[in-house]
Amino acid sequence: MALDAPILTKRIPTPPFGDIADRKVVSYDQFVATGGYAGLDKAVSMTPAEVIDLVKASELRGRGGAGFPAGLKWSFLPPEDGGQRFLTVNADESEPGTFKDRLMLEFDPHLLLEGIAICMHACRLDTAYIYIRGEYHLQRKRVQAAIKEAYDNKIFGPGSKLGQINGRDPQCFDHRGAGAYICGEETGLIESLEGKRGWPRIKPPFPAVAGAFGRPTIINNVETLAMVGPIMVEGVDWFKSMGVARPEGAPPTVPASYGPKLFGISGLVNRPGVYEDQLGITLKELIEVHGQGMRNGKKFKGAIPGGISMGVLGPDQYEAGLDFDIGKKYACLGLGTAGAIVFDEDTDMVSVARNIARFFAHESCGQCTPCREGTGWMYKMLTRIEAGNGRTKDLDLLLEIAGSIGAMPGTTICGLADGANWAVRTIVNKYWDEFESRVKPTLVQVTVGS
Amino acid sequence: MAWITKNSATMEIERRDEPYLTDAMKAKLTADVLPRFPRKQAATLPALHEVQHAYDYIPHQALEEIAAFLELEPSVVMDTATFYEEFFLRPRGKYLIWVCQSLSCEIMGQPTLLEQISAKLDIEPGETTDDGKFTLMTAECLGSCGTAPVALVNEDLHENLTYDNFERVLDSLK
Ligand SMILES: Cc1cc2nc3c(=O)[nH]c(=O)nc-3n(C[C@H](O)[C@H](O)[C@H](O)COP(=O)(O)O)c2cc1C
Ligand code: SF4
Ligand code: FES
Repeated sequence: MALDAPILTKRIPTPPFGDIADRKVVSYDQFVATGGYAGLDKAVSMTPAEVIDLVKASELRGRGGAGFPAGLKWSFLPPEDGGQRFLTVNADESEPGTFKDRLMLEFDPHLLLEGIAICMHACRLDTAYIYIRGEYHLQRKRVQAAIKEAYDNKIFGPGSKLGQINGRDPQCFDHRGAGAYICGEETGLIESLEGKRGWPRIKPPFPAVAGAFGRPTIINNVETLAMVGPIMVEGVDWFKSMGVARPEGAPPTVPASYGPKLFGISGLVNRPGVYEDQLGITLKELIEVHGQGMRNGKKFKGAIPGGISMGVLGPDQYEAGLDFDIGKKYACLGLGTAGAIVFDEDTDMVSVARNIARFFAHESCGQCTPCREGTGWMYKMLTRIEAGNGRTKDLDLLLEIAGSIGAMPGTTICGLADGANWAVRTIVNKYWDEFESRVKPTLVQVTVGS
Repeated sequence: MAWITKNSATMEIERRDEPYLTDAMKAKLTADVLPRFPRKQAATLPALHEVQHAYDYIPHQALEEIAAFLELEPSVVMDTATFYEEFFLRPRGKYLIWVCQSLSCEIMGQPTLLEQISAKLDIEPGETTDDGKFTLMTAECLGSCGTAPVALVNEDLHENLTYDNFERVLDSLK
């Protein structure tokens, strides 16, 4: 199922098409010389509505974790009223196992800027902010340099190819985060952009209606936007020739998993890294072809499919297809960011669960009691179980707490708690025997005689 | 997120006459940053980064100066500043080491690495060496899981760490 040619990594040498050692930052001139900004030229020759229709028809789904159809999101904006409208680009990439946006920002930032400009044209957004996590120092500098080149070449600013939008010259700025995973959640990001603590907002209203500074706002992931330029140039049929169609008999409202995707692979494999392939490749292919197999010939024990929030694929789910439908088929939350973390026979799954619980306890923003307290309790319980001081009943309590927190059960504002919920629950359930062997039987009080 | 608590009742803010948020910084923020946003408060993170860049931490007096500059209450700036892991409200070492402790790094050997660094510098995570040279911190995923384990030293990322190669990095810092 491999790709015929690299798309998102066209200018970023990556196996099997290129050698990582040849990677260099792509300048504006090199980008244009290799077909860059042709998608933008095509877009500005079309009406905004036509561009949105094309993106809708491609069924491009968000690459930031939730898989929401991008064209559909773009069509939720209210009519223009002459006031400002914003694009906030999610480059907060902080989900453990995820390091794909970093690659785009570091080596081919113009592919992102092209997608940004197309989105601004289609959605009539006059100002774009690229919210980059604080720890991405090199990436931030590369993006800043690319933005400057883009202004110099009239992608943004006075005399922009986009013309004026909402009576303003289109602008694009980078914005630096400061070390908080929750600022990747879309409304947490908006709050942070506004200069406040990154506390997610209760929805509705959705950002498309009232987002940054109370104005209509589109928020998309870096990879989602980077995909838009190539779609404009090559077309919908080309895009849909890759990936996986919707399940047979499913209504057209069920989105499919089309197109290429960046897959991350880390953990106990021979060649960790970011690779581009079609949506729907199997975990086995990702590990054996891209990851070049398990390290030291060890046995596969399981893998996180896409960032720790998604939960785990067990030892018998090695053949799982990595598409947006993975959640329903393999009892995990979803494809997430497609950043896999691979475990081998020596990996201690109790430690894995403890590490994940600590992450969520540490990154919970603290607004919702079930999330703030629940993640902390889970971390403490798992620490106790890891140390050999747990009891059988702790496992049930762990599952009960995990299952009760999240926006899906309806107890929290945002999806961070759902990530903690699915991660802990799927690990405990899929490795039940391992957990059980680590706890002492619960002592039940009985009365003897009378 | 950071859960920073302080003893409000007895805390005294150290003050100096010379402002931390200098006229040059204000001029830069006014020219480059404020025009980006419809509201001044949005310049809070950029202003905090600017101050921290200059002094390696953000003194309380600077929080007040930023507040005055952005026409906000100091408590509002404090609220924001204490939320973010990257902002230090107390002095820290010249070299700030962030060792990633998230999942990919942990399964690739971070726990031993951290212990060894901690032993070498003779400080626990969260502490600064007596000579003020190093502050050791643990971080959650630094977005470089493919080259785990990793650590940031100030703005430089060090990848595929072993104790030996990281010790060489630390020893080379003056
Ligand atoms: C706790 C949490 C953290 C998130 N972190 C990120 C992130 O770092 N980057 C990202 O693109 N999306 C992240 N998301 C998803 C965003 O909320 C949002 O769905 C996404 O940016 C939308 O863009 P897309 O539709 O292009 O994927 C996160 C969501 C949650 C609940
Ligand atoms: S679910 Fe957790 S992270 Fe999300 S808003 Fe509530 S407390 Fe904050
Ligand atoms: S887990 Fe350490 S960089 Fe991602």
